Amino acid sequence: MSSASQQPTSINPIHLKNQFALRFVRALNTIKNQKGSAHDTQMHCRSRRVKIAAYTAMASVVGSRRSWSRAVLWKIRNRSRNQDLLRNKIMTNHHRRRRHAKLCMKRRNRNSIREDVYLNPFRYSVQESKLRKMVPGGRNMDSWCLGDEIADYIKCLAAQVEVMQTLVDLYTVT
Amino acid sequence: MEKEKFYTNERNGIPQAWNSIFGMGIEGSELNCSSEQLSNCFFNPNCENSIDQRDLFESALSSIVSSPANSHPGIPIPGGSNGGESIVLRELIGRLGSICNSGEISPQSGINGNNSTNNSYHNTPLNSPPKLNLSITDHQIQGSLPIPGNRQLPPAPFPTDPGFVERAARFSSFGAKNLMVKENESGTPSRSQFIGIAEENKKFSRLSMLSTQDNTERGDSREASSVSEQILSGETETETGMKGQSTSTNGRKRKVIPKGKGKETQSSTTILAKDDKVVAEAEKEESDAKRSKSDEEEIEKEKEKEKTKENVKPPEPPKDYIHVRARRGQATDSHSLAERVRREKISERMKFLQDLVPGCNKVTGKAVMLDEIINYVQSLQRQVEFLSMKLATVNPRMDVTMEALLSRDMFRSRVPVPTTINPFDSSTNQFPYGFQSPNAGILLDGSDNQFSLNPLMAAMHRNSIMKPSHIDGFEASAFLENDLQSVVKMALGGQDQPQSFHGQMKVEL
Repeated sequence: MSSASQQPTSINPIHLKNQFALRFVRALNTIKNQKGSAHDTQMHCRSRRVKIAAYTAMASVVGSRRSWSRAVLWKIRNRSRNQDLLRNKIMTNHHRRRRHAKLCMKRRNRNSIREDVYLNPFRYSVQESKLRKMVPGGRNMDSWCLGDEIADYIKCLAAQVEVMQTLVDLYTVT
Repeated sequence: MEKEKFYTNERNGIPQAWNSIFGMGIEGSELNCSSEQLSNCFFNPNCENSIDQRDLFESALSSIVSSPANSHPGIPIPGGSNGGESIVLRELIGRLGSICNSGEISPQSGINGNNSTNNSYHNTPLNSPPKLNLSITDHQIQGSLPIPGNRQLPPAPFPTDPGFVERAARFSSFGAKNLMVKENESGTPSRSQFIGIAEENKKFSRLSMLSTQDNTERGDSREASSVSEQILSGETETETGMKGQSTSTNGRKRKVIPKGKGKETQSSTTILAKDDKVVAEAEKEESDAKRSKSDEEEIEKEKEKEKTKENVKPPEPPKDYIHVRARRGQATDSHSLAERVRREKISERMKFLQDLVPGCNKVTGKAVMLDEIINYVQSLQRQVEFLSMKLATVNPRMDVTMEALLSRDMFRSRVPVPTTINPFDSSTNQFPYGFQSPNAGILLDGSDNQFSLNPLMAAMHRNSIMKPSHIDGFEASAFLENDLQSVVKMALGGQDQPQSFHGQMKVEL
């Protein structure tokens, strides 16, 4: 990322919104242009994709500056990579299932291990654990960094919601 | 004042005093060794001799005062209890008197009062005189603490009696619930007040120490404050459960005394590196704050104890010195200081979050605030989900127009950065999400211009997304030139794809 990521969003929230709007719109176009299967499943898939696109767009605007944005991008990347591997036509169904199972197991293990850490009532309060679950990448941070990330995340999330609301209004109006 | 006498006694008569302390007939060399040992125990080796003497005196005073502290029920000294405090204080007064007379510095008596671990290194110079060992071994506070001075030294009058009593009276203000110093001139009522000391916290010992010094010279006050600091720190150390380390901590804290006396240039190498500056600053604060009577209250107020269950270390790296001023009424322990710094940071962040989260102004308290934040984040995420669902169902007559609009509006509010970017190239995976458009990614191809500029602009302006905050001359010119490509390039300065779609962009707009 170049200048867009280097400009702190705190200075210019409008910039944040604009950037997000641009990328999100672009992603929407991409999604729209994708050829889907049936309409119903497409709806569900598309909404999920739109959601992912929204989060990713916002994370990419923020770039590498913030831990939560890095976590989002990393997650998406991993997910896409795994999904690609799963969907890879070279892999047989057997391989695909095994790989999927492996991934799920890894995810479960990781979640369970980390959960013990941040669900420990002696270390973190209940609310703090909840916050850690909600904020991407909040599992391995200390309390102070977590608060910082939360503040930034809330700001970006609010901007994201605003832009999306505008878009929806725009589309539904006309 | 009597203190001056003490000092003169010390400086001049220390050798004799130590001689008397360490058993008659100890040679001067041995005395020097012992004093050196003591000084090495207490201070950096590069201390001056006079400083050693004074510090020995301070240590003696501290040990005296800390002996009732040690008898505090919070400290698990065998036999330590409140009932022994009165006896201890009588002993203290006796010892002070003996100090006046013979210049006896009562580390030995203090040794009795201190933890048995303290005896370990106090004992080394004092082992030689067998007579003194009697007092040393008797470290039971409750038991009748022998006043070595009274027993082993020739019974001397108490020439400093009135002033001494006055001082004792100040000590006796332990018993006073109000923290103001009472100038008690009479001897006997002071004694009776000692009984009240049994009820008192050792905080008041600090007060009395301070108050005594307030009426004396400044050096004394610094001394006493340093002593009180030591007590304080010694207290905190003991109270935090470092009983086994009390020797080291006391020794360490005593080394701080010269710093508290204003020799702040002295290295604090004896203190733990991590706690160095924090403690130093705190103690500086303590020593500087003594000038006014309110400083007494500062030390007297409830010490903040850290009862947090969290073991979160303060986020400051040890080598980065955080200069913290100990606030009024708060502990100066390095750990609590660091905790306080951390808490202040967190509260600062909480305030910031309050601004972000709407409707949190009235909320006080961290837990409620966190709840609000959680609710807010959850609601935002749900909104995103809902809106994404809506957008998915929206008639996908989307367009480039909007993108161009966005790009054009964007540069209005941004400083343009000329980069060669193609925002409309989605083949290169700008957004690392998994789905790839099957097309090469020319979004501008063949999309209907269903949306005109006006609604989008209107909507954007309505929602104040785009505020033409400023239009640079450069931007304006670029805009007016209607060079869409350059405009888009400038506006979308965040992308990395240097491809260009001149033709298509012109087509769309």
